[in-house]
Amino acid sequence: MDYYRLGRVKWWQTQAYYHALAEMGREGLLICYTDTPYVCLGLHDDLEQEINQEYCTQQRLPLIRRETGGGVVYLDNRQIFFQLVLNRDNPILPLSRTRFYNKFLTPAINVCRRLGINATLKEPADITIDTRKCSGNASGDIGEGVAYVGNLLINFDCEIMCNILRTPSPRYDRILRKTMKSNLTNLSQWSQRSRITRENIMTMLEKEFSYWFLLNRCSLDEQLEKRAQEVFKRLTAPEWLSMAGRKRPYRKIKIAEEIYLLEHKITDDVSLSVVVEDGVITEIDSNSTAINNLIKSHIGNRWDEDFLNNTVELTQRFTG
Amino acid sequence: MENLQWQVPEDLYYDRNDYWVKIQRDEAVIGLTAFGQYNTGDILYLELPTEGTALTRGKKIGSIESGKWVGKLTAPLTGQVIESNQKVESNPHIVNQDAFGEGWLYRMLLQDPAEVAELMNATGYDRWIAEQIQKEKETTVL
Repeated sequence: MDYYRLGRVKWWQTQAYYHALAEMGREGLLICYTDTPYVCLGLHDDLEQEINQEYCTQQRLPLIRRETGGGVVYLDNRQIFFQLVLNRDNPILPLSRTRFYNKFLTPAINVCRRLGINATLKEPADITIDTRKCSGNASGDIGEGVAYVGNLLINFDCEIMCNILRTPSPRYDRILRKTMKSNLTNLSQWSQRSRITRENIMTMLEKEFSYWFLLNRCSLDEQLEKRAQEVFKRLTAPEWLSMAGRKRPYRKIKIAEEIYLLEHKITDDVSLSVVVEDGVITEIDSNSTAINNLIKSHIGNRWDEDFLNNTVELTQRFTG
Repeated sequence: MENLQWQVPEDLYYDRNDYWVKIQRDEAVIGLTAFGQYNTGDILYLELPTEGTALTRGKKIGSIESGKWVGKLTAPLTGQVIESNQKVESNPHIVNQDAFGEGWLYRMLLQDPAEVAELMNATGYDRWIAEQIQKEKETTVL
């Protein structure tokens, strides 16, 4: 397997090189981190619905839209990326693309364990420490290839992550920050700072991947650089960034696997913010004191359409 | 992968990207097979081609997202889209629940009906599924 230990690269290169490899039909493993922070949309994210563009502009955070799944992410130099590009007919790929995460994330999980951190896989694609997410991972068919991309959070700024997301109400924003902080973690919180350096993490990742593949250390060649430049232009083009994506009649942010924060408009004046974990309501709040006590009694119940319909009826009854 | 019995209706054609094709004179209805939706996983989003879109066999016409993976939707035949299924666009999970019924993806006008001969019949697709499962057992390292 061609292996590119890129280290510190320009922000757009952390996306462009793996896209370029996939488009060119070349397999490879890349390990890198970004020199400056940026915001990355998943392929089907809707820019208007998801991103607080005013904040990103004020903070000079560039935007890029990748061709893999998953949602909006804030990326900076406190995350180490590991990216695997395979040809789509590579026999090591299972029929179900999602099942490959079990294998793809094993090196990163082993890095954590070697650091004395008890990390585990929460299927399909989260690495967790003590049930809290410490990585962001995604995959997609690009050209004739398939790219699996992951990262390990050495450290992570939840405040900035929340700032880049568009939130429908101050209540939702407050719950978002609280829920994100309680469901995300990073390696620095769990191991000696001296061991959690970028170089050390990259070296450990390299070693773990080398148990799986015979790594052939490569440098970036002219063809790859040229293609990466073209990819950069395409993935940051205004029409690509503003491409219509998944639009919902309600706001939904995924915090981690099976943990969502929803905002539903119940009536013209009343809205509901709900945290759902594994299909169960764990937090619920509205801007109507008339119904708040009643809806809070549903914490611990399953979230479904019936509940929503009943809440609409209840609200109309209590608020006239 | 477990040896599940896959639903493979006799009256349909199939391609290697796990699409089913129902031929209705010079039109066709296209969907994802039971085997295809199983391997895709819970479908979260579908971008279907719109009415009037020209389709070329084997080329990308839309995209599909499940879990943390996105893939391309490709055209099994050449022609033009007559109608895409709005229901599955707003609720993609229907494809998982009823791949051969309510989960149809789009209807198209065929440009070259002779292309249908390139597709597999039910027996052929059944055999193809068995080959894929066997190949995965022999080669995938998980």
